[in-house]
Amino acid sequence: MVKKAHLITGKGGTGKSLFSVVLAHYFSSETQSVLLCELSEHSFYKDYLNLPEISYKPLALKPHLDISQWSPEDCLKEYSLHLLKIESLYRLFFENAISKSLIQVAPGLHELALLGKMTSSPRKQGPPMPYDQIVIDSYSTGHFLSLIRAPAAMSEAIPFGPMGEQSKSIDAWLRNPDFTQVHILTLPEELPISESIELFQQLKKEFNIKAKVYLNKISGLTSDDLTELTQEAQDSLQNILASEAKSRLQLKKAGIDFIELPLVASLQSETLINVLTEHLKVSL
Amino acid sequence: MITLLPSTKTLICIGSGGVGKTTMAASIGVGQASSGKKVLVLTIDPSLRLAQALGIKTDGELHQVNLASDSKGELWSCIINHKKTFEWFIRSAADKDSDDTSGRANIEALLQNKLYQQLSGRLSGSQEFTSLISLYRFVSSNKFDLVILDTPPSQHTWNFLRAPEKISALFNEGVASWFRQNNDQPHTKKSVLKKMFNLKILSYGTTQVLKALEVLTGSYFMKELSAFFEAVQKWQGPLENYVMSCHRLLISAETEFVLVTALDSSRITEAQKLSREIQKQGYRLSSVIINRIPSWTHAQKNAASNIRSPRVNELIKYYLSLENDLQSRLKQLRSSLKVYKCFELRQNSENVKDLQKTYNNISSAD
Repeated sequence: MVKKAHLITGKGGTGKSLFSVVLAHYFSSETQSVLLCELSEHSFYKDYLNLPEISYKPLALKPHLDISQWSPEDCLKEYSLHLLKIESLYRLFFENAISKSLIQVAPGLHELALLGKMTSSPRKQGPPMPYDQIVIDSYSTGHFLSLIRAPAAMSEAIPFGPMGEQSKSIDAWLRNPDFTQVHILTLPEELPISESIELFQQLKKEFNIKAKVYLNKISGLTSDDLTELTQEAQDSLQNILASEAKSRLQLKKAGIDFIELPLVASLQSETLINVLTEHLKVSL
Repeated sequence: MITLLPSTKTLICIGSGGVGKTTMAASIGVGQASSGKKVLVLTIDPSLRLAQALGIKTDGELHQVNLASDSKGELWSCIINHKKTFEWFIRSAADKDSDDTSGRANIEALLQNKLYQQLSGRLSGSQEFTSLISLYRFVSSNKFDLVILDTPPSQHTWNFLRAPEKISALFNEGVASWFRQNNDQPHTKKSVLKKMFNLKILSYGTTQVLKALEVLTGSYFMKELSAFFEAVQKWQGPLENYVMSCHRLLISAETEFVLVTALDSSRITEAQKLSREIQKQGYRLSSVIINRIPSWTHAQKNAASNIRSPRVNELIKYYLSLENDLQSRLKQLRSSLKVYKCFELRQNSENVKDLQKTYNNISSAD
């Protein structure tokens, strides 16, 4: 049974996908099995991790760590089959061009299907999930808010019936700090920092969620490193150092604890994952 | 500077989030306006700083941007307001169809429908669609020489490109007909299913499907959903035409796509896949801009000095190899694709002057 679900978000380009794999590696151990999921329609991990294929059905990445791609359609299908119980009825419903387009456009259904799957284990809805932790490489800030707001919005619009009940219970588990943990990735730059502070505060205010914040791609330089460089290089790197210092200060001022992650100077995904996983073992 | 095809009237900036699309769209706008064109930049959710630099408000209206005095053209800007755009779209599509009061009541019914409100407001996915209709609205007004669109910060651009298709499905005859009620019949408390079944609108199979849906979602949801489709069904024709026009605009010979990408090793394959897909679908992707290249690595490479700091050496090697890797992979895509580089400005304050600087900074990588 799933004990905890981790949702990874942040501004575009802050390193959410890489961090999700790293976090999944970090959690997986002899005693903890982990499922890493991606929500994007076009898989990022297939190429990045050089996988033969990726689908809804979990694929073993290494011992105690599986990976899968969740599409709203797959989540809904699984849930419906579980609820309707009659295979032929479910076929009639899903293998029908009209209902396919209906599912695609019905407002809110996608979000509910994904979050319904995420919370299915503690809600005891749907087939059992043999994982201790699930790590979800989720959407960037704006889309992420739309995603987690959907259950409450839906239960407000549709207060009665199974749809309303399900929405309410998904929303409750989403707000349960023992079950849901949000991780915000950010960069030591002006826009990502202000966006992540805003998101952190919004999550606190609206959901009483206390997110974990990670300041990513820290240069690892000090002023001493710069003395031999050309003037232009010194100026640029001084700017970066100043921006890093300012970002730390802004986060502190906002009362946000954060973990720093280094910029790993490698093009190899395997190296990046290993170095950062080791880093998390020390800093988490 | 970036060279557009002479016929280009619409420029769509695409790329994954955080690569600097919005700033790039604004820079190209400033650059093209200074050379004499009347340009409109449509953006979604720009940073406060950029909005202030351009002097625009988030009211969904057109605003003229003050350019340098030697600028020959005009720059206009608009921040897309999704809710307003959606409403405008529904009203304008309906206006063509009906002047009568029942038509108006129908519009109001739709605007009040709870699912419609979710669709137009809080839920994801509708941004792509409102961007597209805003683009079509301004391009077809013929008031501008060039309209530049900064696409939504969706993880990929796929959603944007598939917006017409998705919204067509919404107004699809099949789906709407499920929920269609006889307009002469007043609303009754009878279940929607029963009514439709009585009217022999539904075959037995479809009824089973709807029953399954009702089991899954409940009758309250079904009632809202049926009211929603009933409301949109009235002007399905004009809406479909509109969506088709939007799609035609995307594949038009006067529309060019530019892909903005950052120096990020993990996104190289993604950028490659995206551009391949775009070309396959018949969109005109002409240029790629590799954005935010740290210029100091080049300056330092040329200055033959021995650097003792291992970290600095490591970073220089890293950035240069990233750049080479990205450039060669982009070139593999298609030889006619123009690859540009844009070095990161040392001071990244955003005002019209800096946007012009960024534009001047775009150089061919060939």
